[in-house]
Amino acid sequence: MRNLINFLIQYSVLMLFLFLELISFSLIVKNQEYQKSVFLSSSNSTVASLYEMSNSVVEFFKLKASNVSLSEENTALKNELIQLKNQLAAITPEKKDSIRFHIPPEMEYKFISAKVINSSTNKLQNYITLNKGIRDGIKVDMGVVSDLGVVGIVKTVSDKFAVVIPILNDKIRINCKFTKSNYSGPLQWTGFNYQYASLDDIARHVKFVKGDSLVTSGFTNTFPEGIPVGTIDNFNIKESDPYYTISVKLAVDFRTLSHVKVIDYKNYREQRFLEQVAKEK
Amino acid sequence: MLSVIQNIVSFILLVLAQVLVLNNIQFLGFINPYIYILFIISLPVRLPRWFTLLLGFAIGFLIDIFSNTLGMHAFASVLIAYARSFVIKLFTSIDEGNNPTPSFHSFGVGAYVKYVFVMVFLHHATLFFLEAFSFSHFWLILFKTLLSSLISILIILGLKSLNRK
Repeated sequence: MRNLINFLIQYSVLMLFLFLELISFSLIVKNQEYQKSVFLSSSNSTVASLYEMSNSVVEFFKLKASNVSLSEENTALKNELIQLKNQLAAITPEKKDSIRFHIPPEMEYKFISAKVINSSTNKLQNYITLNKGIRDGIKVDMGVVSDLGVVGIVKTVSDKFAVVIPILNDKIRINCKFTKSNYSGPLQWTGFNYQYASLDDIARHVKFVKGDSLVTSGFTNTFPEGIPVGTIDNFNIKESDPYYTISVKLAVDFRTLSHVKVIDYKNYREQRFLEQVAKEK
Repeated sequence: MLSVIQNIVSFILLVLAQVLVLNNIQFLGFINPYIYILFIISLPVRLPRWFTLLLGFAIGFLIDIFSNTLGMHAFASVLIAYARSFVIKLFTSIDEGNNPTPSFHSFGVGAYVKYVFVMVFLHHATLFFLEAFSFSHFWLILFKTLLSSLISILIILGLKSLNRK
């Protein structure tokens, strides 16, 4: 009898063990559908406000680097402003009402600035939490960039926070192209070093050298054309392969990332809708 | 009673240290030490096993919520919470009546280091393979596991040797 009870006690521990592992495992599997778990992740407001607090301390130490990159961007913007003013002056017609200008529709976007309050660079699937959400106009699928280049894509938003899938996540690929030759291909992270990603789909006949820069191709609705992605660090090709394996040094340093801009593309819906209609017909 | 309060405090401190400090230490870009399992490692030897399992689940789940890895830490923590008593039995011989907390003193230095090593490695390996969710990066993950385990073990042993009784 006693043996039986002992046996049952041991058995119950094993059952509990299996039960808890089953819960954990189903959570992991469910978590692949990332949207559903927004309440139990760092965009949950309690957890996020704790991170915000800790970030306010950490941010102080990053001020210097932020300042440098901000001032660099400032200069670049001023230069661009002058250039644009000149161009505008050159094309403005004498009579004001004779010609109407349209801004190209794919260029109608604006930036929403946001701050990184939580991020990781060391996992296979990294995520970044931002301190802006629905009430600041952020929506799912918007692109996120920093002063230096592409960061990632907004995956989930709550009222006040947003979670971004950065390039450093093997779940996303970002379409980019060579500035020189316009050949494009998908960029994916290798899962190892936060500074490098790989570009696979470039055919053998394309010519490029180390140090060539890559920018976004503009073929998706998420990023406008020409945002820096990285530079070519190394490449090789096997005799039998039709495609290069290219190692790309990313433009953004994800370890020191603190301020980002979310791209609000005005004609996103219209373009998406039109493309959808075209596919259905 | 005192040891209960001690354990609650160490639970909170370890979770905070893990999510606020250690999750941001990314040595060489991919090494992330996980020391919160020191809580599971340091529970009294004769604590009922079902209770150890629940505590393991609780701390893992909490870490999961903070690091957006729902289920992964919980899975790994419950696994080592279950394996704990077997590992202790394997390396030590503690009398039926005694209920020590694992430490250099109660286990002996050699046995304690072995115990910590097995627990940490088991946890890290489970965690990293779950994170990848496939065996396609096998060697990369094994490498990550080994390096991260080594750092975690050093930190855990260091912490333990500080409050040696």
